[in-house]
Amino acid sequence: MAARANRKLVDQLKNGDRNGCAHLVDAYQQRLVGEAVEVFHVGREDAEELVSDTLLAVVRNIHTFEFKHGEGDFHAWVISIFRNKMRDFVRKQATTEGVQQFFDESELAAVEEYSAHEMQIVRAIVRQYEDANREPEDVDGNGVNMKLAVIADVLDRLETWERVLLRCRALDVPYEDIARYTGKPVSQLKVYHARVKKKFIQQLAGYFPELKGNETETTRPH
Amino acid sequence: MKQKRHDHIDLLLRLAWLEGWVNTHGAYEKAVAKREPGTGVNEAARSRLIGKLESALAAVKPEPPLTVGAMLRDTRVTRMLRPQEIFSRIGVTQNIYRMMEQDAISPLKIPVEVWNRLVTLLDLSLGELEGMLRRTHQLVLFRPALRGVLARYKPAGRKGLKAATLETAFKEMYAKAELDIPESDRHRLEELVTALRKQ
Repeated sequence: MAARANRKLVDQLKNGDRNGCAHLVDAYQQRLVGEAVEVFHVGREDAEELVSDTLLAVVRNIHTFEFKHGEGDFHAWVISIFRNKMRDFVRKQATTEGVQQFFDESELAAVEEYSAHEMQIVRAIVRQYEDANREPEDVDGNGVNMKLAVIADVLDRLETWERVLLRCRALDVPYEDIARYTGKPVSQLKVYHARVKKKFIQQLAGYFPELKGNETETTRPH
Repeated sequence: MKQKRHDHIDLLLRLAWLEGWVNTHGAYEKAVAKREPGTGVNEAARSRLIGKLESALAAVKPEPPLTVGAMLRDTRVTRMLRPQEIFSRIGVTQNIYRMMEQDAISPLKIPVEVWNRLVTLLDLSLGELEGMLRRTHQLVLFRPALRGVLARYKPAGRKGLKAATLETAFKEMYAKAELDIPESDRHRLEELVTALRKQ
């Protein structure tokens, strides 16, 4: 994606030029649908709807957008709108069919490497998140948000490169990019990814002492 | 068979990213920009979306700027001007201009000649400018109160984002509100506007 083209696209939209709509769709529709489907495991129909809402929000709010730091500002803004739409979508799913069903557990990789206790912790956090979403009085989503604070806490305890690796790989940032950010070779990052995940879940376990009891049992893959 | 790249830990991390607890500091945005867009959206869906966006674009009516700062920023962006193209022509320093763009200086501290040059340069209507002058002065005057509120606010979670959102909301509220400003300030504002009208 050419960053310079973004300035022209923004000018077109701000000036009410209809060509800007086609350019926006060509730049983002396939790309964001791909992200929604591949990274967030949203069904294709929902993904198209979500991307449509995202791009509508871009057009409706284009007059509030300004380039402040550089050519990449517009792309970052579009992605932040996409993230907000995706978050609202996930929150809605959490109140209905549940987050794990939404992310389609069968699509997730086998979990032999995690113990039953560790899987219990994951499910407990997701359940708390779902419950908080179902609280009708929590209109601003603060309670929902707080249920995930523990994840940020545990990430902060990891080494910087471990933190970058986990955060970036969860969103499919290529290993090559992470290697540049961390200064570690790609091969090492690939080997260490599973170990760092294991370290993360073990540290997370410290926050849930009440769930201890069957650490030795290993879950079966789905 | 499709490779399963994500597991339950990724699910948690993605939730945390969506809720603002995890930040990739631009790495995700860069990755999205670099990825080859997938296929699968058909021509009909593309055309449908373009149609929707065109209707939305036709319905968009930008709100007129409330303050001098908002007006300067909007005008500069829309007309693709650099700040120095404005401040050198209206006769203020770069610092003063920056304060004007940020609504960090009362219009009463800017000489009437400067306003006159600005009206000419940007082809402003005096009626609109009058309202902006009043609202900008009001915003500058009540900013200490706004800061007081923000200082008491203890945000949880996305600290910077929440504080910034709150500040934007307060700014708009102060700009839109009809608040009592001191009689002397009101008088000086009237004098400024009268002087502008005369010239």
